Amino acid sequence: MMLVVENLTKKFKKTMAVDRLCMEIPRGEIYGFVGANGAGKTTTMRIIAGLLAPTSGKVYIDGLNIFRDPLKVKGRIGYMPDFFGVYNDLKVSEYMEFYGGLQGIYGEKCRELTDSLLELVRLTHKRDAYVDTLSRGMKQRLCLARSLIHDPDFLILDEPASGLDPRARVEMKEILKELRTMGKTVLISSHILPELAELCTSIGIIDSGRLVASGSVAEITEKMYQSGLIKIKVAEKEEEAVKILMEMPEVGELSSVAGVIEIKVSGGEETSVRVLKTLVENEIPVVSFHPEECSLEAVFMSLTERSSENENNQ
Amino acid sequence: MKIINNPILLKDMKTKLRGWRTPVLISCYVLLLTGILLLFFLGNNMLDRYSTSAFDPRLAVDAYNYIIVFQFALLFLIVPAMTATSISGERERQTLELMLVTQTPTHDIIIGKILISVAHSILLLLSSMPVLGMVFFFGGIGIMEIVKLLIFYVLTSFFVASSGVFFSTLFRKSIVAIISTYIFLGLLTFGTFFVLGFRAIIMEYVTHSSIDVTYATYLTSLFPSPVFGFTSFYFDKGDYYSFRYSLWGELASEINSQIAYETSILRFLKPWIANGLFDILASALLIFMSSIMLSPLIRKK
Repeated sequence: MMLVVENLTKKFKKTMAVDRLCMEIPRGEIYGFVGANGAGKTTTMRIIAGLLAPTSGKVYIDGLNIFRDPLKVKGRIGYMPDFFGVYNDLKVSEYMEFYGGLQGIYGEKCRELTDSLLELVRLTHKRDAYVDTLSRGMKQRLCLARSLIHDPDFLILDEPASGLDPRARVEMKEILKELRTMGKTVLISSHILPELAELCTSIGIIDSGRLVASGSVAEITEKMYQSGLIKIKVAEKEEEAVKILMEMPEVGELSSVAGVIEIKVSGGEETSVRVLKTLVENEIPVVSFHPEECSLEAVFMSLTERSSENENNQ
Repeated sequence: MKIINNPILLKDMKTKLRGWRTPVLISCYVLLLTGILLLFFLGNNMLDRYSTSAFDPRLAVDAYNYIIVFQFALLFLIVPAMTATSISGERERQTLELMLVTQTPTHDIIIGKILISVAHSILLLLSSMPVLGMVFFFGGIGIMEIVKLLIFYVLTSFFVASSGVFFSTLFRKSIVAIISTYIFLGLLTFGTFFVLGFRAIIMEYVTHSSIDVTYATYLTSLFPSPVFGFTSFYFDKGDYYSFRYSLWGELASEINSQIAYETSILRFLKPWIANGLFDILASALLIFMSSIMLSPLIRKK
């Protein structure tokens, strides 16, 4: 395992930012960390990066306890925060060499690494430009290159694509794909869920400091399909169809507008089959029967909705 | 990490020295010192070839006293301003965390920040050497005195820089850090004189008689004060118009005469050595505490 988090808790005065969070990331995984603003993503990532002391809990990176061997662990992680602190009076190459020095890499080796990383993030042509002349997207890519200067095995990327225009986002995504092929383990947080679904091998959904779901994208959507949405269009007998559906125990919420009935069902594909079969057996003229494909966005909305409902009930 | 390889020092040297500001600052500083020296000589008719007053080369000693006091005061003004923003400035620029996430230990970051201001102080001191050297034309000051003075300046600027970095680590806002540093140094420099006075009053109250303030009393009360250490570098030329009749001159003369009366081993512990030793120990403590406070796993937020 590259990352093991055990019962991580962080409390700021009265606010519980992270609440008994447990997670594991195997080596080589691209793990998407999903959550609303204030859900505890950045706090968790800062603790994992060794920048914040937790209230309780343990974090192991590559088998090393980050609180016992902080300097050893820092040699294995690359951290990119959701802001880009840069020194405007430095040139791009000097910026890289400065952080190389902080990681204990000097001279020719540092220059070689700088060249290869600037090539990776497509900034070779800006080598001698001052950092303050770079666009936001370029600064983000430079920050990514900085986090890679010591060739870490594990990358912690907090919202690497935030505030970027669509082109810059695509470029960032391409770079992250290259990192995946390089065998890096990546923990990445983002608000742009479809991008995460495309990029990540597994995801974790955090809500109010708690990890409410974790696993591969397929696993989570499959699990969520257990309570999917079905859109049914009927040619006539709408009222009768509604009555039949309401009598079925698997059917939860139901709404009906102009011949289109939307139902929430619990259970997987078997339930869908049973609903359609019942309607057909009762001679309801079904025009279309469309179980909604469960997107990561839908999963996220559903899980965080449930969690906030639970909180309200408590 | 070797001091010379400290990336924080190297970065600062590179960015500061390549701009126009540093050469302009150094030029202004040297011009200012030269101006003070010229005004001093002019005021004492030393540059007037038709002057009827006798040429007194000993006046150069007073000129030297003026210049070193000016330099010392400037060091106290510049170094805290430079260092009290060093960590809080990184925090405000959002670059501190990027440093803390690297393999560089916090004490290397702290030392790097201190070395930057010490290096600047050394640069200013060395650039002023030609001006100080002018007093050699007139004699009275030995080269070893200048070397000792430079060592004292470096030790003092190291301590002042350590204090600045300490408060910069302690407070999140640069302005609070700057004010705290000046207050701390002010208390250390002048507050110790209150301690001396208070001690004398208590001793008089206890013994019901006037007491002799010996060198040991001065030493044990004033050793943290840089002004006390600086009294070692006062040159008395011993005439009526001497620099002696300034507050610092009076103090320096009194302490130097008390050293002459001192018979114990303390007489070897000159004010600049005692204060220099305090600077070294206090700097080590401040660096240690700053490193602890900067450690992300100890900070609260």
